[in-house]
Amino acid sequence: MKRVLLFIVVLLVCMTTAFAGGQKEAPAKAAEAVKLALWTQEGESEGAFQFVVSLAEAFQAAHANVTIEVLNKETEALREDFQTASLAGDPPAFVWTVNDHAGPFTTANLIMPVESLADLSKYVEGALGAVTINGKVWGVPISSGNHLMLLYNKDLIATPPATTDDLIKVGKQLTKGDTYGIVWNQMEPFWLVPWLGGFGGQVFDKDGVTPTLNTKAMVDTLRFLQELKFTQKIMPAESDYGTADTLFKEGKAAMLINGDWSLGDYKNTMGARLGVARIPKISSTGKWPAPYTSGKYFMVSNKVTGAKLDAVKEFIAFATNQANQLAMVEKLTRLPALKTALDTDRIKNDPILKSSSDQMVVGTGMPPVIEMRCNWDAMKPELIAALSKTKTPEDAAAAMQKAAEACVKTIK
Amino acid sequence: MKIKSFFRWFFFRAKGDSPFQRTVIHLVLIMACIIAVYPALRVFTVSIRPGNRILSTDLAIIPKDATFDSYRIVLFEKDFVRWLWNSLVITMATAAIGLILASTSAYAFSRWRFPGRTALLLFLLTTQMIPAAMLMVPIYILATKLGLINSWRGLVIAYSVSSVPFSIWILKGYYDTIPIELEQSAMIDGASRMQTFLRITLPLTAPALAIAFLFNFMTAWNDYLMARIILQQKEMLVWTLGLRHIQGQFQTQWGQFAAAALMVAVPVMTLFFYSSKWLISGLTLGAVKG
Amino acid sequence: MPSISLPVILASLGQVGSTVLYIALLTAVLEISLYLFFGKLLKHKHTIPIMLLTPAAVGLVLLVIYPILYEVALAFSNMSLRHFQNPTYGIIQGVNNFRTIFSQPVLKQANFFPIFLRTILWTVIQITCHVTFGLGLALLLNRKMVLRGLYRTLLIIPWAVPQVVATLAWRGEFNFEYGFINIFLRDLGLKPIQWKLHPFWNFVAVNITNIWLGIPFMMVILLGGLQSISHTYYEAADMDGAGPFSKFKNITLPLLKPIMTPAVVLGVIWTFNNFNVPYFINEYELETSDILVTALFRAAFEYNRFGFAAAFAFIIFFILLGFTLLYMKITKFDPGLEATRKKAA
Repeated sequence: MKRVLLFIVVLLVCMTTAFAGGQKEAPAKAAEAVKLALWTQEGESEGAFQFVVSLAEAFQAAHANVTIEVLNKETEALREDFQTASLAGDPPAFVWTVNDHAGPFTTANLIMPVESLADLSKYVEGALGAVTINGKVWGVPISSGNHLMLLYNKDLIATPPATTDDLIKVGKQLTKGDTYGIVWNQMEPFWLVPWLGGFGGQVFDKDGVTPTLNTKAMVDTLRFLQELKFTQKIMPAESDYGTADTLFKEGKAAMLINGDWSLGDYKNTMGARLGVARIPKISSTGKWPAPYTSGKYFMVSNKVTGAKLDAVKEFIAFATNQANQLAMVEKLTRLPALKTALDTDRIKNDPILKSSSDQMVVGTGMPPVIEMRCNWDAMKPELIAALSKTKTPEDAAAAMQKAAEACVKTIK
Repeated sequence: MKIKSFFRWFFFRAKGDSPFQRTVIHLVLIMACIIAVYPALRVFTVSIRPGNRILSTDLAIIPKDATFDSYRIVLFEKDFVRWLWNSLVITMATAAIGLILASTSAYAFSRWRFPGRTALLLFLLTTQMIPAAMLMVPIYILATKLGLINSWRGLVIAYSVSSVPFSIWILKGYYDTIPIELEQSAMIDGASRMQTFLRITLPLTAPALAIAFLFNFMTAWNDYLMARIILQQKEMLVWTLGLRHIQGQFQTQWGQFAAAALMVAVPVMTLFFYSSKWLISGLTLGAVKG
Repeated sequence: MPSISLPVILASLGQVGSTVLYIALLTAVLEISLYLFFGKLLKHKHTIPIMLLTPAAVGLVLLVIYPILYEVALAFSNMSLRHFQNPTYGIIQGVNNFRTIFSQPVLKQANFFPIFLRTILWTVIQITCHVTFGLGLALLLNRKMVLRGLYRTLLIIPWAVPQVVATLAWRGEFNFEYGFINIFLRDLGLKPIQWKLHPFWNFVAVNITNIWLGIPFMMVILLGGLQSISHTYYEAADMDGAGPFSKFKNITLPLLKPIMTPAVVLGVIWTFNNFNVPYFINEYELETSDILVTALFRAAFEYNRFGFAAAFAFIIFFILLGFTLLYMKITKFDPGLEATRKKAA
């Protein structure tokens, strides 16, 4: 019995502590108190989540009546939970996320167009293109990029190849023993798209929603990749993201195709050995490969109104002002979305960022429409089949188109 | 005949084991342990390998350039310890509540015959048949309506109930093996129903109670789906969410990931270690009877 | 600095403690009113079981019944992203959803039935291995011997390491260049295996991972079950001159049945619906390694076809319900059987 009593006493003490703690936070402010929830898919490992939090804290310091609660959600979880929370009537005021969420969110009618929330002329057009659906812009860009580029190990290769013919030539010299000329994540169609662009192909027709995967450009692209892998043998037999990453870090691959998100990590592990360049120009077409560009965006729930909406507007302006954009460049090695920030010496004099922005210029905006998901899922298995030589380029391209069309029908 | 002698040493109690049989048993168990432990050891290797590499052709368990940096970061620079603590408190509480709910319900199923009993038992099974992910949207909506979002209250309630169906089935099976005469004789001696249950039946079911507790614990401990929809504040997260939180979109810090995963296993192993006393309880039927 | 301090600890204890107190209070009120209503007012003969069952029942209704009803409604709707906030409900939508499952390929090429058959194969392989190895190890451990505690602790590791982490670790081990199995194979001068690209080997990889993960759980349960078997039965059998095999068959197995049957039935249900392992190990999304739940996820969830997904989930539900009823019929497992033990004795 004594023990039970003791337990209850301890419990009561704990509860009072908890409640006392809760009461301290209670706001007693003159201006109308505004509480905003911001969901972001930025994680801590790149320091990006901390950056979002620091922005929110700085903003709260200047606006005593506003509290912003920042919450991290893994990318897919953010999409699903934002949808569900909207259905339940309690979505966060706004999210900080990738461009392809604009597709599902607009289709389900959950977010508002941002023309009235920010002066969009200040932002890089490439970044805006990746969130434009039906002529309206659905996200305020925070960073631009997210694009693939060529990274190389200066110990193994002095100047990167400018054309694919060069690539094959140096690749053959470099491939020996357990070292490869070039590696990338062969399993994801995101790494196929730049080459497709270089051969003059696009995944959608002019209307932006009809898949066009069974094209000459696609067949040429797949044939080119098969040549690199099976004829010239400058790529490993099987390589996913992790394998490519490890080979490059261990110095067993001279060149790697990876995205701007990985720059910080490679700068840390490779130091001065890291070089960055454009993906080599396709010799037969004379075109630069065109990786998808997008970035991170603010998207605002269409349930937000009044004082809350004003606060959201102010925070977006604050988070994307010149100073904060440059701080982001510093902390996250990402390219800014603000034109004036992109045009500074900070970017121009940094060899890595300069090359990265150089690559971005020849990229294309990644389509945000929900049909894109069908395209990704249709391309993936056929790309893998072509790269393991179980299908010819022609068959793979035809199968892609068929799968994409069937998929688009189911989401109508 | 050979099969018979195989069964003799394989299925029989220690008394009759010859030195040769013992050696074989130990060898088999050692093999099994290696298979169980080796992949986990590889996770350990990742956790002490510098430079954020998950892959390597090096098979050494301790790489040459080993470092405990990942552990230091996860322990001291992240909120991981706090998230582990949150998980531990929530999980212990819910495992206990779940056990109380299940042990009493299972007793009712085992000792009384009431209308709808078989149907109810079947219904418990059916709750496990719908893929869990399907139930998340309605649970989210329900939790929002009941104001349970962003509080541990919702999580505690959900976890307490979620493994009850399994526990009831296991415990009921175990109660069924205990002769009703034991209870009857206790009641003839003047014990009340409640006393009989607490003093006679429960101690005899210690192994099953331990299993049910472990299972409750593991379900809540490893849950990600439910926590994801209910918790929305960094300080309140449980470790499954925290582990996601310290990742990036593309770049996974594999060293930290592995270090955190192994730290998560420590409380579980400790629990298993202490519960094995109950699992292999001396209070088996034979002991009581004999 | 570690992120934990005394106020944090107290606050968390307070929060959980107050919830527990809250639950305890509610339960007490519930129990007293049940007692007064059934016991005193109606003098119902099943008052005690009603009191014992109600708390768990209330919780389950909250957590399961409402969501299931919601899903039933969804299965009869056209809810998708395009009809997100105001979907149409009706028989026609429901029929459409259910028809789509069987009339069109569920995945890109695979139809419903091949995936269904593979799911059965997967479940049979898994349960067979889990029970065989789990029982074998439990029998070995169920004796007095040195190092028993150590073995038991080590053997439990696959269950103790968080499942998703263990699955991701195994996925790394199936890497063509860097996985330890392939490195061993190369060292032995054999050809490495394309675990992730080759349909057969990928299915093998998924199975290996889940067998490794699932054995400890079965082992622990069966070990607990073996503990409930009294020595006296074996001693009596010894006196009758029974051989080891007949003792295993006539004593061990029947007496394990009340523990083993629920474990197997639930094991089947969970394996049938196991998502993490087949989804994460199958990194390149080979349709030849998909089982019904992963197909449900890929075909319906990822495209936000909520109505279709709900209908699909109910198909899975009815398959499992059918199996359970059948299994109980075949094994003559009557959930209300208390005579097993007497028969064996």
